[in-house]
Amino acid sequence: MTEPIVSVKTYALIFTSLLALTLTTTLLAYIDLGVFNMVIAITIAVIKATLIVSFFMHALYEFKLVHVIIAGGILWFLILVFMTLGDFLSRGWVK
Amino acid sequence: MIGAVEVKSPRSYLDSREGILSWLLTTDHKRIGLLYVFSITAYFLVGGFFALLMRLELLTPTTDLVSPETYNKLFSMHGIIMVWFFLIPSIPTTLGNFLIPMMIGAKDVAFPKLNLLSWYLFNLGGLVTLYALIRGGVDTGWTFYTPFSTSYSTTYVVAAALGIFIAGFGSIITGLNFIATIHRMRAPGMTWFRLPIFIWSHYATSLIFVLATPILAITLLMIGFERVLRVGIFDPALGGDPVLFQHMFWFYSHPAVYIMVLPGMAVISELVPAFSRKPIFGYKAVAYSSLGIAAIGFLVWGHHMFVAGQSIYSAMVFSILSYLVAVPSAIKVFNWTATLYKGSVSWETPMLYAIGFIGLFTIGGMTGLFLAALGIDVHVTDTYFVIAHFHYIMVGGTVMAYLGGVHYWWPKISGKMYPEALAKLSALTVFLGFNLTFFPQFILGYLGMPRRYAAYPEEFQVLNVLSTAGASILGVGYILPLIYLIWSWKYGKPAGPNPWRATGLEWKTPSPPPQHNFETTPVVNCDAYDYEAMKEELELV
Amino acid sequence: MSESSSLAVREQFATADQQRETATVGMWVFLVTEVMFFGGLFMSHIVYRLLHTAAFDRGSADMNILLGSINTAVLISSSFTMALAVHASQEGKWRRLAGFLFATMLIGLAFLGIKFTEYYQHYQDHKVPGFWFESSGADPGAFQMFFVFYFAMTGLHAIHMMIGIGVLAVLLFRSGLERFTSAYHNPVVIAGLYWHFVDIVWVFLFAIFYLPGLHL
Repeated sequence: MTEPIVSVKTYALIFTSLLALTLTTTLLAYIDLGVFNMVIAITIAVIKATLIVSFFMHALYEFKLVHVIIAGGILWFLILVFMTLGDFLSRGWVK
Repeated sequence: MIGAVEVKSPRSYLDSREGILSWLLTTDHKRIGLLYVFSITAYFLVGGFFALLMRLELLTPTTDLVSPETYNKLFSMHGIIMVWFFLIPSIPTTLGNFLIPMMIGAKDVAFPKLNLLSWYLFNLGGLVTLYALIRGGVDTGWTFYTPFSTSYSTTYVVAAALGIFIAGFGSIITGLNFIATIHRMRAPGMTWFRLPIFIWSHYATSLIFVLATPILAITLLMIGFERVLRVGIFDPALGGDPVLFQHMFWFYSHPAVYIMVLPGMAVISELVPAFSRKPIFGYKAVAYSSLGIAAIGFLVWGHHMFVAGQSIYSAMVFSILSYLVAVPSAIKVFNWTATLYKGSVSWETPMLYAIGFIGLFTIGGMTGLFLAALGIDVHVTDTYFVIAHFHYIMVGGTVMAYLGGVHYWWPKISGKMYPEALAKLSALTVFLGFNLTFFPQFILGYLGMPRRYAAYPEEFQVLNVLSTAGASILGVGYILPLIYLIWSWKYGKPAGPNPWRATGLEWKTPSPPPQHNFETTPVVNCDAYDYEAMKEELELV
Repeated sequence: MSESSSLAVREQFATADQQRETATVGMWVFLVTEVMFFGGLFMSHIVYRLLHTAAFDRGSADMNILLGSINTAVLISSSFTMALAVHASQEGKWRRLAGFLFATMLIGLAFLGIKFTEYYQHYQDHKVPGFWFESSGADPGAFQMFFVFYFAMTGLHAIHMMIGIGVLAVLLFRSGLERFTSAYHNPVVIAGLYWHFVDIVWVFLFAIFYLPGLHL
């Protein structure tokens, strides 16, 4: 497969969206929402990361194997986190 | 061109270029494989020497040969060197490097320069670890458990950890290289289901290399950070949790067991069909079971921590998942055995090793099931039962497969045959010596002899003497091939391209192969292990 | 395949496309190893944060949000110029390529400058673990641990930034020699992947270190 080319206009759009999301997440963090502060911060970070991976890194336009590699990396990180958390959460230490 | 044109086959990879620099700067995957053979053999001898001293110390119940402190260093350095500088790189970096491009019909691996870099990183890591050893060694065990490694041990923990950290990047590069090679460098017609099982197993191994090794790297970095700066990461007094260290360590180190044994299975899956003259039974099942082992192998690490203080619910989940990993392993054992059925089995040296592997791996695997059971594990945790179990997998499995593979592909690597009678004798010596060394340890462990002590109660002496006697026989079995293989390099009979009449692209090249493996890129139009077609071919001749 | 592109295909590959795809696969696999490498620290941080939420929030309140958010914008800008550099290389415009590579390096250096300014402020506040750290409030061990992770993770990130700037310097040099054409420019694309990945790591570091203390 030949190389994907992304237009400058798309890059500019993603760039402004990333700046806007940074401003949003910073402002939202000033409001006390309890546990949801973290949820919002991580959700917006995931959105930003997805934009960077998809467009700046061309993943959206690449061949299928690249998608499998990305999915595998995320899945294995989640295995590490959740199987370890399984231990700590079921100890009854976290309120 | 002046003068007569001589028609000559291209020179082999061994004499295409000459001089020591042509080896140290080579990017040829076959030469890099041999560089690795050289390195890991050296580390094996060092690690084996420590094992010898340990077994000598354990001849008598009292501590008479070495002090308990020295004994702690002996088993630590034995573990560190054998695990990271012999077993992990053993088959993938030697036979894997040599054979993967040839088996898939490629000229080289995807990134030849990175391949060379991995050898240098591996040796740099080895030298740093040897520095730790020469300065006085490490006494934490190969597992570096906190808080002992971070707060109490007075030995060279940081240097040893740094050595492993550096060597780890060598492993990562090897895995990355294999993945890219297997995905994108296959010859025309070489579809996934025409690949030899050797490739499938190495692909699974490479996945573990790239997914697990970075966790080891970061964990060792955290150990170094905590030890040097005296800040809390795993220290309970500062809000840390030593069990978190164990989670991270075993997230790497349990899959690392499969880094050691999957390449062994890769070799066996080639040897059994070749010496039974039959295609491997249930090709797809064996292929998928490699990936299954790699994937499930990541979900079982908690079984190393049943008595470490993890929650009982977590332990139950890890226990059940550990039983699951036995399924793909058993599929492989059954399929190898079924391949033998109604085959024209012959008993050359590689086959002796292969049969030895199947038996010993089965014992090692079955005793692993004992250890995955929560109740029994509490009884035998940190006893010689565990020692015997993992030596059956790592030595009875990986080392047997490595030796079998080296004998099988030796004609391809060197162009010469090894002396068959002597080789059979040494294979039997290894098998006998191994069982005499480690079977008594199952009994010792069951009776309650704890690991990692220089002294033991007198009633354990008989079994320990047996074990030490076995170790000396095993040592002879390892030294013999070293001698006669080197001898045959010079004086062996020329092997010809395919002495075993085996299938596989690597056997379609001259022995030793030319620098770029194939003069023209091969086109593949049949499945792996097509021994039926080969039989017809031979009958025609 | 044009003459110039066939020259840039290494001997182990059959075509330029095969070479590009293999390099792309290799880089993404490398990035997966990076995910796991940083992942170990992220996972530990998650566990300890759950165990010591209050202390970690107090630690986060000591962050300089002004410098932190500016730095996030700075790093995103560098990713933007990096993407433009890749675009210029694909079009074979080597002057634009060199310009954007240089801009990316400068913005990357600006990021490091701001980061080290922050580090110096923490040092003056006695908030560097191992160097005259002064704990406060309940649970001083966990409070210090927040800073251990902050320095370990942002430090590791900074090291990755420095490596990235080094890689860009090599590319800048090679683009000055007019080594890259519209047919052969894969090193720029591969380096771009690395640069954007380092940017993504920062996006998460910003979320877990700077934001949680803001509402206190």
